[in-house]
Amino acid sequence: MTDGHTTAKAGSQIGRSLPRTESRDKVTGRAEYVHTMRLPGMLVAKLFRSTVPHGRIASIDVRAAKQVPGVLHVVTIDDVKQVIPHPYYGPAFHDQPILADGKVRFVGEPVAAVIAVNPHVAEEAMQLITAEYEELPAVFDEVEALTSKTYVHDELQPAATFADLKHLKGVKDTNLALAYKLRRGDFDQAYAAATHKFEHEFRTQKALHLPFEPHATIADYKDTGVTLYTASQGPSFVRTEIARLLGWPENRVRVKVPYLGAGYGGKLYIKLEALALALSMIARKPVKVALTMEEMFYQITKHPCTFRIKSGLDKDGRIVARKCEVYWNGGAYADIGPRVTQKAGLTASGPYDIDHVSIDSLAIYTNVTPAGALRGFGVPQLVWAYESHTDMMARALDLDPVAFRRKNLMRDGGQHTTSQVLKDAAVEKVMDAVLDRMSWSKPFDKGASVVRRGRGFAIAIKAVTTPTTSVAIVNIAADGSVTVYCSTIDMGQGSNTVMAQIAGEVLNIPAESVKMAPCDTDVTPYDMGTLGSRSTFHMGHAVRLAAQDALAKLAQLKRDVGEPEGSNIPIADLFKKRYGMQAGNVIGSGVYKPDYVSPDPETGLTPNVTPFWMVSGVGAEVAVDTQTGHVVIEKLINIIDCGKAINPKLVETQISGAALMHLGFAMFEKMHFDGGQVTNASLADYKIPGIRDLPGTMENLTVDTIQNNGPFGAKGVGEVATFCVAPAIANAIDDAVGVRLTELPLNPETVFRAIRAKAGRPLEEA
Amino acid sequence: MIPFELAEPTSLAAAVKLLDPDDETVRPIAGGTALMLMMKAGVFRPAKLVSLRKIERQYAAIAAGADGLTIGAMTTLGTLERSAEVRKLAPLITRTCLTLSNVRVRNVATVGGAMAHGDPHMDLPPVLMALGASVTVAGPDGERTLAVEDLFSGYYETVLAKNELIASVKIPAQGSKRAAYMKVTTGSVDDWPALGVAVVLDGEGDTITSARIVASAATEKATRLTLAEAEMNGQHVDETLLQRAGDAAADEAELVADVRGSVPYKRELMRVYVGRAVAAAWRGAGLNND
Repeated sequence: MTDGHTTAKAGSQIGRSLPRTESRDKVTGRAEYVHTMRLPGMLVAKLFRSTVPHGRIASIDVRAAKQVPGVLHVVTIDDVKQVIPHPYYGPAFHDQPILADGKVRFVGEPVAAVIAVNPHVAEEAMQLITAEYEELPAVFDEVEALTSKTYVHDELQPAATFADLKHLKGVKDTNLALAYKLRRGDFDQAYAAATHKFEHEFRTQKALHLPFEPHATIADYKDTGVTLYTASQGPSFVRTEIARLLGWPENRVRVKVPYLGAGYGGKLYIKLEALALALSMIARKPVKVALTMEEMFYQITKHPCTFRIKSGLDKDGRIVARKCEVYWNGGAYADIGPRVTQKAGLTASGPYDIDHVSIDSLAIYTNVTPAGALRGFGVPQLVWAYESHTDMMARALDLDPVAFRRKNLMRDGGQHTTSQVLKDAAVEKVMDAVLDRMSWSKPFDKGASVVRRGRGFAIAIKAVTTPTTSVAIVNIAADGSVTVYCSTIDMGQGSNTVMAQIAGEVLNIPAESVKMAPCDTDVTPYDMGTLGSRSTFHMGHAVRLAAQDALAKLAQLKRDVGEPEGSNIPIADLFKKRYGMQAGNVIGSGVYKPDYVSPDPETGLTPNVTPFWMVSGVGAEVAVDTQTGHVVIEKLINIIDCGKAINPKLVETQISGAALMHLGFAMFEKMHFDGGQVTNASLADYKIPGIRDLPGTMENLTVDTIQNNGPFGAKGVGEVATFCVAPAIANAIDDAVGVRLTELPLNPETVFRAIRAKAGRPLEEA
Repeated sequence: MIPFELAEPTSLAAAVKLLDPDDETVRPIAGGTALMLMMKAGVFRPAKLVSLRKIERQYAAIAAGADGLTIGAMTTLGTLERSAEVRKLAPLITRTCLTLSNVRVRNVATVGGAMAHGDPHMDLPPVLMALGASVTVAGPDGERTLAVEDLFSGYYETVLAKNELIASVKIPAQGSKRAAYMKVTTGSVDDWPALGVAVVLDGEGDTITSARIVASAATEKATRLTLAEAEMNGQHVDETLLQRAGDAAADEAELVADVRGSVPYKRELMRVYVGRAVAAAWRGAGLNND
């Protein structure tokens, strides 16, 4: 494609480290976010939240709040039901009420909302609301909840959207939302016959997404239609769910997402949107609900997880049997927990070639803040367990941890546990690259005094959530300029830049000349969501196909106006020739949905569970202060297989960002609880890594590979470098001081207690 | 946050007059870095704030003399950090400022606020206590002077009346003293400390002639460790002494558990870090070591 002055060379847009196209607007404060957005006549809401983890609501007294000047409405579930008769929402289960309905199920659950002229008035009035609860026994631990007689919900309410959950409808007396299983071979028999047997349990903590922009939604309801301005990673899903709550066709629901101040999975599916809708319906004005940083502790978290893993090895150190029991602490409402349970569950046995595998992955309700997807869709919790387990077995058998892995690794052409043939998964190549950068075969100084040094390694594989669909539109204007319409949300990862590069590559124009239309479901077509490292692959394909479609239509236009074969008439001239002036458009569209074969319900096996595999390896070198338990990460090598990097600089920042985020989860981030109450629900007491927490040396690299079915050889990258950080560090700590930690985070007190316990001088309990 | 009255007096005396000794909802505000968080969290709901930003400029000045440093209470921590006089006469303060919170906070938070807030996690109070600093306090009946170590009465509590304001801090000349402050975090490096230890030593040859050791963060208020100090006086510095000092500190300190660590763990941190801080101070060649 040529238009005389913006031609790019073929192939020049792919592999190009173009700076993010929106950066200037962001650093100059010109980018728009929902959190700072105001509409004319807009009211704001503040939420009154439960102070008990489980209880029947005996009464709510809103009288004083209503008297505050500037307050227009004080809303409880009874008011909501006047406008939305069945006010329950959620992606997998319709279990979450817009406001607490009869019962509260976690501390911090919204019970009432004050709608006022400004947030200060709303806040003041909110503090005047009181509620009385008949407290019920509560259950917090995922393993206890499975057998507890305390039930978070009276009965299960699966959403109709997921056919595989239908059988759960109306099931009573359980906290088990969903059980995923995989059965390959015969675990029991193989384990019984194994020479070496190992069984370990690992746990992970409750931690937070903490995007810089907290959750925020403005709903502007009119009887003719509703517009939602929302900080969401999944506007298409929001539209579907809001339309369902209203009983409306989707075209009366408009969802607009400006720039997003990060998401990490915490702004997926439906969060504040249903509440904002109900409040706008009641106020009949635009209403904004925007959380504070502190309120995010009561919105959505990472899944805590207990993983019991059992492996049987033959005399040569080959793993012949593995059993995985994974308990996911989903909190009070299912959110996307059941999907995390399934989609992470299928890789719970790791990147190892094992003939006999049994996996049970269980989504469990408890009385704490709901849990959802967090940059890795559950996989980091699994890798934490299976890569710690791998090292523990190697050490117990006095095998080199690397050689032991190499003996058991899955390789291209072999079968994944699900029976899918592994293709374009550079597992061994990633491992070799990490070991090379670590100089693994060279001598390593482990220190001899107070500070001991160690090194560790971990490797992992993940499937992409499948099947999901992406649709894109490419619009060529009469002057030849190009606009791409897609509902992928640029939340800082750089998807706008990458999509522009893909469109530019197909259309043979520089990516910076491509306009990415802002996300607006009235305009931008359907996308499953910006999640699970799926956008570059799925939306990348859709944009590629849409651009190709536009090119084909341009070619047809040339034929229509009688241009000779091979004509390189500038686009503007072509439109002029066709329409007599600068007029008209060419619209290309593209749809991408990968092939998929549903797993066998009995065995979980399928020949096609994912269109691509993500692979990550990490090497860590640590220095442990044996007198205090402080761990300094001296070196962190993060290497992934993302196929062909469309934008190498963005890939590097995704690797470093993912690794550092999980460094926080590995080392210190933790929501502390006391009887269901979060005791550190503020950024004063919940810290994320800062610049001085960076490893001494950090390398963020890719291996040279091509994803053959990917757009220009590419695949996803956003989550990949999260998987291995925690187990690589724990393995390094073991190498340094000979202690094994089985619960995250690896904070100094935990390390110190383990060191003292090993020395036979356990530190007294707190 | 609900609306409140904001007074902006132009003199310290006027500010004192605007305060109310009996009204919890009237408070002075300097940098506001702590108070605004309390207001945001709904822990503190003011009726009136008395801003000190417009009082006489002398209260934001640093003066150096033969007898030491006088630092106006409204001096920002950033100014303190960049002051050549402070670097020369009390380099421990300069070093402490570099790891104290972050540059945005340091540029507005004040020396007076850091003390008057009474937060045991602050880095400056233990350092000032170890340096033997005193504060001049202005009240309705004039000024009084008291040692910083007598300022704190409990967790977020000071001996100041609600209508008293810290006017300045005086740090005596340190002569040949050596000093160190160790901030021990157990979460992010930038977290509030789980323990702070400040040590100021004087010595002759290889013998310690006087020691001031102050612990903070793990304790309900910044606290001098007098038993540990007593272990040091007149002693040679060696491994055994460091251990004895650490053990004495661990024995005497009254510790508080929080999300940053349990009491038994903080006791071990105290044992280790008192020794490390003493060693670091002693290693330093005189006052100007960085």
